[in-house]
Amino acid sequence: MANTSRTTLEAALRGRKLDRTLTTALPSIERTPTDVAALDACLHGGCPRGQVSEIAGPPSSGRTALLLALVGAATRHGEIAAIVDTFDRLDMASTTAAGIDRTRLLWVRGQAIAGSPPTGVERALDRALKAFTLVLQAGGFGVVALDVADVPVAALTRLPFTTWRRVQRMVEGSDTACVIVAPQPLARSAGGVTLLLSPSTTHTMRWTGNSNRSRLLAGLDVAVRVVSPRRRMDGEVVITASAL
Amino acid sequence: MFGALLATEATTLDALLAVACDFSPRVERCDSAAADGPCEVLVDLSGLTRLFGDAQTIASELRRTAADRGLRVRVALAGTSTAARLLVHQEPGLTVIEPGAEAATLAPLAIDALTAVATPGLPAPDILTFRRWGLRTLGDLANLPGDEVAARLGQAGVAWQRVARGEDPHPLVPALPEERFEQALDLEWPIDGLEPLSFVLGRLMEPLGAHLARRNRGAAALHVRLHLVTRAVHERTLQLPTPIRDARTLRTLALLDLEANPPTAAIDRVVVAADPTPARVLQFSLLTRALPSPEQLSTLMARLTALMGEGRCGSPVEVDSWQPGAFAMTPFAPAEPDAASKDAAYVPDVRRPGLQTRLGDSVSPWPVVALRRFRPPVPVRVGVDEGKPSRITTDRRGLSGGRVEMCAGPWRTSGAWWESHGWDRDEWDVMLTDRTTYRLFHERDTGQWFLEGIVD
Repeated sequence: MANTSRTTLEAALRGRKLDRTLTTALPSIERTPTDVAALDACLHGGCPRGQVSEIAGPPSSGRTALLLALVGAATRHGEIAAIVDTFDRLDMASTTAAGIDRTRLLWVRGQAIAGSPPTGVERALDRALKAFTLVLQAGGFGVVALDVADVPVAALTRLPFTTWRRVQRMVEGSDTACVIVAPQPLARSAGGVTLLLSPSTTHTMRWTGNSNRSRLLAGLDVAVRVVSPRRRMDGEVVITASAL
Repeated sequence: MFGALLATEATTLDALLAVACDFSPRVERCDSAAADGPCEVLVDLSGLTRLFGDAQTIASELRRTAADRGLRVRVALAGTSTAARLLVHQEPGLTVIEPGAEAATLAPLAIDALTAVATPGLPAPDILTFRRWGLRTLGDLANLPGDEVAARLGQAGVAWQRVARGEDPHPLVPALPEERFEQALDLEWPIDGLEPLSFVLGRLMEPLGAHLARRNRGAAALHVRLHLVTRAVHERTLQLPTPIRDARTLRTLALLDLEANPPTAAIDRVVVAADPTPARVLQFSLLTRALPSPEQLSTLMARLTALMGEGRCGSPVEVDSWQPGAFAMTPFAPAEPDAASKDAAYVPDVRRPGLQTRLGDSVSPWPVVALRRFRPPVPVRVGVDEGKPSRITTDRRGLSGGRVEMCAGPWRTSGAWWESHGWDRDEWDVMLTDRTTYRLFHERDTGQWFLEGIVD
């Protein structure tokens, strides 16, 4: 009886071209790998293309390490990638260590904010969003990332929700994996994933050496909780990011 | 009937071409056998007898016109261009032969005459071999059996034999006049502002793009000249990254440039011109994702530059310096992926747990810890205990301070002390109690502490 009702309901939805809401009608999603084995296994191959995904976490939780891993994988596989860097925070040595082919990386540098006046932050965020929109509209990029990790949460929450909805509509159906790096989850689209990094009190920096003189920063254990649509690939993995 | 003009004194090829073009539009530049040899042009004189009279009169007119322009030339007229060229090199003054008498006229000329006639696609004549065979004149070479020549010298020998008979190896190839890719519009009323200008530019770019397309050319550079009501000329030149002829792209690029560099007064005349260059030939791959077209990338970069500012968009490159964080920006111009990167393409195998990347069957070296660099570095107050940082205090909103739980360092670096931007500092990696990890440095000459970035 239940099966009959379900079939009838699905047929009615298909008849009105509303079958995108059905799990059985979801198209297979292409993915772009991160080249981090454990994470790719958890994500069923990588970040979904044509969707907005996000990497969210506090400072020193490994957000940038994951972003650069994703961008590095895309450029190594012959794709082009773009990073819209709201506050001009990208480090050259880090891109080298992440294996990024820099000739295939478009870096859009925002304005470094010397102090923290709210108007300056909002202006920088506004410009970054416009640049992000331009890159997405141009198309052809394998990965497009917006780095708003250092933008105050208050400024992000003041953005109208239609901002992210518009981004989702732009990415929909394209071959671009859109990634937003933020201090907290903001704008995942229906088919995207959220990589939620552990709070600062639990993640672990790895050090080597016993004395101050011999001690070295060896790496960071990044605890990633994957939140996905319909909990299809929810899980938690711990990745070790090695130091530069 | 063809005529050959050979300058007997040093002159420019353009001057000789101008004389020839006065008689016929079908004029060919001839390559001299020697690099610094005299200038020579061929002109197709078919049909000119009705205008000037017989061949002798045409030859005289050619020489007289050249003399009026201060040029001393030899002129030869013959039924074939090859015969005319051979004769003009051998005979001074005017030489006119009747069509059909080329072979007979050329026959007594010395075999060395072939060296004066460089023919595209033909190797230089083997005069030494001809002499060893006992050939002294062009007639001797012309009378040899063609198949025997072909057996000994190949097709090149046969071709030179035809030249010796005065036969043309290829038809005359007229030189095309240099085309100007330019469009102009005089406005009835002066326009002020970019919005009305965009319509004018669109109207000018359409025929310019069509002209470039007809000639299979693209614009290497675009010149926009705006004649202002103040009698000044506002001129902008855009160097394009690749040959572009798409009218919409050219208009957008010109408009974006004019947005950043607007004219100072109203405009009453608009001129756009393109420097033509051979168009691009693209071969797309079925195996790799297509990159955005250069037109799309050019427009994107122009829009981003207008939004973010000059030098804030592009690809970063390393510079020859040990200075921490040193880099330079280059234009974003990705190349098509090569075969190597295609071979290394990553195919995730999600069925296999604990999958590995295809990197020499080793575990992936990624991810790596990254640094989020502060530009400029953030000044902080640092408490020092037993020579190492023990507490960090900062006024910057959004950055945490507190007690240092773990630190590593110092690493001393210095450089460029002979220049104004030198550095001399001790670096530390410090982790606070809330697990935020900073890279910190202490400037040794000023004693100030700065945050260089967050380890993330």
